[in-house]
Amino acid sequence: MANELAALSNELAAAVEQAGRTVVAVHARPRFSSSGVFWRPGVIVTAEHTVRREEEITVTLPDGKNASATLAGSDAGTDLAVLRTDAAGAVNGRASRDPVAGNLALCIGRSEDSGVNATMGIVSAVSGAWRTWRGGRLDHYIRLDLTLYPGSSGGAVINTGGEIIGVATSALSRIAGVAIPAATIDRVVDEILQRGHVTRGYLGVGLQPVELVDRHKKALIVLSLEPEGPSAKAGVLIGDILVALGGKAVSDTEEVQLVMEGYAVGQQVEAEVLSGGAPRKIAIAVGERPRRD
Amino acid sequence: MRGFGEIAERLRRSTVQVFPEGRGRGGGSGVVWTGDGLIVTNAHVARSGAAEVELWDGRRFRAKVAARDPRRDLATLRIGATGLESATPGDSDSLRAGELVIAIGNPLGFAGALSTGVIHSIGKLPGMGTERWIRAAVQLAPGNSGGPLANAQGRVVGINTAIVNGLGVAVPGNAALDFLHRGARPSLGVVLRPVSQGLLLLEVEPNGAAAAASLKAGDVLLGSFDDLNDALDSGREVLRLQFVRDWPVNGRARVREVAVRLAAPAEAAA
Repeated sequence: MANELAALSNELAAAVEQAGRTVVAVHARPRFSSSGVFWRPGVIVTAEHTVRREEEITVTLPDGKNASATLAGSDAGTDLAVLRTDAAGAVNGRASRDPVAGNLALCIGRSEDSGVNATMGIVSAVSGAWRTWRGGRLDHYIRLDLTLYPGSSGGAVINTGGEIIGVATSALSRIAGVAIPAATIDRVVDEILQRGHVTRGYLGVGLQPVELVDRHKKALIVLSLEPEGPSAKAGVLIGDILVALGGKAVSDTEEVQLVMEGYAVGQQVEAEVLSGGAPRKIAIAVGERPRRD
Repeated sequence: MRGFGEIAERLRRSTVQVFPEGRGRGGGSGVVWTGDGLIVTNAHVARSGAAEVELWDGRRFRAKVAARDPRRDLATLRIGATGLESATPGDSDSLRAGELVIAIGNPLGFAGALSTGVIHSIGKLPGMGTERWIRAAVQLAPGNSGGPLANAQGRVVGINTAIVNGLGVAVPGNAALDFLHRGARPSLGVVLRPVSQGLLLLEVEPNGAAAAASLKAGDVLLGSFDDLNDALDSGREVLRLQFVRDWPVNGRARVREVAVRLAAPAEAAA
């Protein structure tokens, strides 16, 4: 009778134990530590917003020992930071199937004082690619209906089989915890290990959507220009109206960012603008988005 | 899920409401430990010498506080009743993070309210000494204090005690068993708060060891919380403690010394 409940309880504890072998505590901010996950041998991912210093970072490994770690790089847009440590660490298997709304999910963290910790809830929503308010792109939006306590961010989000779905963060949504999907982490880790950071194409313009009276369509008016920025250098003027970028019509900033994802830093992108009502084509050399310190 | 209802109902019948005497403060919860009227609750729920206990079926009894261990926040109550449905203790040492747990209590006056969740972690709490605590991701509220935290089999593995950062904090069931077998450990009879200079006494219980040694609220004991705990557990009957009274804003603090005679351990309750 009650065996089903006890069996589920044991299964959950076993999943936590398995996933817990890959989860560390990350000491990179005052007071509360956060959590991190061994993503590759010697490579730990954690939530960028919990890394508040670049030096003297330590991690508490699953065996309880403390080890020093170095910051390989971070990407505020996806809220990911990558640490390197001498310990290889165990790496967990990825979930074989994408989560769907309603699946049970656990968030596994670690603290130095009390070891592995777990909270449980459900995946409350899954959708396609999603741009965070910090500007990064997640391959899926995975919203969690589980409580993230102080120190949970950076922990592993797993299914009941102990397979990893992603990494938990409380900083990407005001209303709920979000799992940064495994596919996004792979991409960001690759880029950070190669270059030390994630580069994003940058035009150096402030844009505001406006309606074009004569054509019943929207475009974007240039409200500000970064001095010496890519657009300013290419001859874009304040008051110009951007109607197309890279051959695609653009009517809001989301579309501009989507186009920019196809252009690496240094490439030329063609902008079609209305300058005082007259159409003009300008080639802009894509710059690199200045990174915050 | 079949069986869950029965587990919850059985646990509910072993959970009582505790209304402490005096002080117009809200009540807490308790666990029926033996059928002949031994009840386990938190020391902070059983603050005075007597209390009223209400069973799941609405019967009310006067209860005497049999033993208190304020340092572990545990107390036992005695009521004159027999044939009670007692809880089954589980082994809290074998608990693992992620296990399903059930909490029953009387949060905010709702009698017999149930919440479920999972074990979050087990271990020390920062700044709370060397004791182990269970942290559970369950929804608790004032009034849950002293009530049972049970595993998926309905066995009591903890006594719900506090809420820290939204997490339920429980005294491990095995610590409660230890308290029942060995009785309360010596205590100073104070409420204290760690401050940068030492331990600030916020309250001194009128009949406690500290009061008998003329310590007063506002005094600052020198040393750490862990040092004090070690001294209390050392088995010595008299502790020599250094403290500062009226800590001067400027200038040197005068360190005084006091000998505190600890009460002999209370009789074990069961």
